[in-house]
Amino acid sequence: MNIGIIGTGFMGTTHAGAWAKAGAHIAGFLADPPSEATAIARQYGTKACFNLGELIDLADVVDICSPTHLHAEMAIRAAQAGKHVVCEKPLALTVEQGEAMLQACRTANVKLFVAHVVRYFPEYSLAAAQVHAGKIGKVATAEYRRLSYRPKKPMGNWFLDEEKSGGILLDLMIHDFDIARWIAGDVASVYAKKVTSINKDSPSDYGEVILTHVSGALSHVSGAWAYPPPVFRTGFEIAGDGGLIQHDSEAESPIELLLQQEKGEAPDVGLPASPLAESPYDLEIADFYRCLQRGTEPLVHAEDGLAALKIARAAMESARIGEVVTLSSSSTSFNIQSAMDLKPYSPQEGGSK
Amino acid sequence: MKLAFMSAAHVHADAYVSCLQSMPDVEIIGIADHDSVRGKAFASRYGLSFFESYDTLLAQKPDGVLITSENAYHKDLSLKAIKAGAHILCEKPLATNVKDAETIVRFAHEAKILLMTAFPMRFSVPVRSVRDELLRGKLGKPLCFNASNQGQLPPRDRAWFTDPVLAGGGAIIDHVVHLADVMRWYLGTEIVEVYAVANRIFHAQEVEIETGAMVSLQFKNDVFATINCSWSRPSTWPSWGGLSFDLITDRGAIHVDAFKQNLTIFNTLSVQDGVKNAQQSTSVNHDWSSAHGDRGLGPRWLFWGSDANQMMIEEFITAVREHRAPMITGEDGLHAVQVVDAAYRSIQERRPIRI
Repeated sequence: MNIGIIGTGFMGTTHAGAWAKAGAHIAGFLADPPSEATAIARQYGTKACFNLGELIDLADVVDICSPTHLHAEMAIRAAQAGKHVVCEKPLALTVEQGEAMLQACRTANVKLFVAHVVRYFPEYSLAAAQVHAGKIGKVATAEYRRLSYRPKKPMGNWFLDEEKSGGILLDLMIHDFDIARWIAGDVASVYAKKVTSINKDSPSDYGEVILTHVSGALSHVSGAWAYPPPVFRTGFEIAGDGGLIQHDSEAESPIELLLQQEKGEAPDVGLPASPLAESPYDLEIADFYRCLQRGTEPLVHAEDGLAALKIARAAMESARIGEVVTLSSSSTSFNIQSAMDLKPYSPQEGGSK
Repeated sequence: MKLAFMSAAHVHADAYVSCLQSMPDVEIIGIADHDSVRGKAFASRYGLSFFESYDTLLAQKPDGVLITSENAYHKDLSLKAIKAGAHILCEKPLATNVKDAETIVRFAHEAKILLMTAFPMRFSVPVRSVRDELLRGKLGKPLCFNASNQGQLPPRDRAWFTDPVLAGGGAIIDHVVHLADVMRWYLGTEIVEVYAVANRIFHAQEVEIETGAMVSLQFKNDVFATINCSWSRPSTWPSWGGLSFDLITDRGAIHVDAFKQNLTIFNTLSVQDGVKNAQQSTSVNHDWSSAHGDRGLGPRWLFWGSDANQMMIEEFITAVREHRAPMITGEDGLHAVQVVDAAYRSIQERRPIRI
């Protein structure tokens, strides 16, 4: 199976390694500018393409690791050419784009995979398995944290351009929106607040989002590009009526390096430094490859990517207008009162006897 | 200095009496409680006199009273104390509704009675130290808080904590006031808008009030905060719960956990022995929550940090002695009640509520 990879940044490079490990053949790379792909193409003994058409022609699967605002157009062109699509998260910049991608792939009868890699991190998949097996009962509240520094890019930092990446609520926090939905089901309403950086040099992006699930469960999702490099911390706490699961990447890190060293630069994108025999990226690509070859179901579907995108866009809207945003997709008429069955807090005149 | 207890309903009464008994020049006149069984048990536990009514207790002319009743009775007991000319340290929340809180504050003010709300977290050394640095400008400009004040369901022998009338609500009124006050104190500015969501999934069969809740606060100066205030800790949790927050500034973030100074103890005693052992250990610390929790086996956290309750009680006594305003006032208690009130309205109306 021939894989064409778009984007040769951190994610394109990582996916290339994973496809190679999975036994797929990388047929070509495309970068912007095309010359950026020369080195990695040479490394894999393959082609650096000049344009999207060329890449699509030689691929059976187009793996899109380009900036978010470019996903939809590339995915739709690949689908229309009859090629399967793997798309980095977020699925797209807007819900409309995401829906168009799903539609295009359905119409062309090609597969669409969305690379929500966090589902392949064992600490998350183990927690989800515990919850889904009923080990902590019915989920009531959950907290998710993803705390890092501002992503750095050698050229034109598209991560920081909300028109291209959607900013922190979409680009970073969509990971945990997907996990929150995986754990506690569809989301009925979203309330979000976000730090608006005072100036460009201020390294402070921070989002806090409260999700009310259709089930009545509540999730609090926090994301930061506000910490000093090389901080990259993830954590969650899922509490049910029969128990609680905690994860803290800091507390669960098996190796601590306390070496005297020169003050080093942080890597492009921060990663949890907890070593595993198989990287979550390898597991993810291997899962997609297995689905393509044998028709199995992936751990995460394109529909999940679209649902996470809807939550993220609702969060962006909520942060902008300062109001609760209800998700139209959940047709279930959800009523907080019925979920809580609250007795009225009628303030009564206290009286000591 | 003569002090008296009005009711032993609140778990903190036990902590406060231990604080007072270790202080020189403090005489505890005794306790009155509308629940005489509870009041007598408290009196005999600490070798205090029991008074059959609040009036006979107040007739002893205490300089100050500690009101540790059910939340709903704070107003009536405060007004009695004010009438008797006794200064007041009132347990949080100051009242179960804004009207009662306003009444307490107004009457105390008119009678020139010193009124202090018991917010012990202002005396937590980790919490206080970070504020000091923040005010010195060392930590950058605050942008937002990501906070948690979660605990176990209050124990069965304190069932009023989960009674909507006596407590004024559930997890929200029990927990939100602490962090709302700490944040106001950090920022020196008021909360102007509140959004809250809640559910009753934890202990759904046992109680009728919200046990899971999250509250978002908007401050006047653009800073915002989220507080998870749930009774989410299972009975096997190593302590009653905790209070912690990340403060995000334009320089990065500061993490503060007010209860992280713990030993972890693992033991193999039976449940009965284990509980007894844990209670003995925490009674030495008498941290503000020691009477919570201690249910279930498993590792336990034994707090060894500085005793915030002790410092809070000392502040009350010093303020009474020096005829000055305490560092936490009735108004501070009132503001926290306003936040709680807005949170409950937000749940009802499912939208952010302006204060």
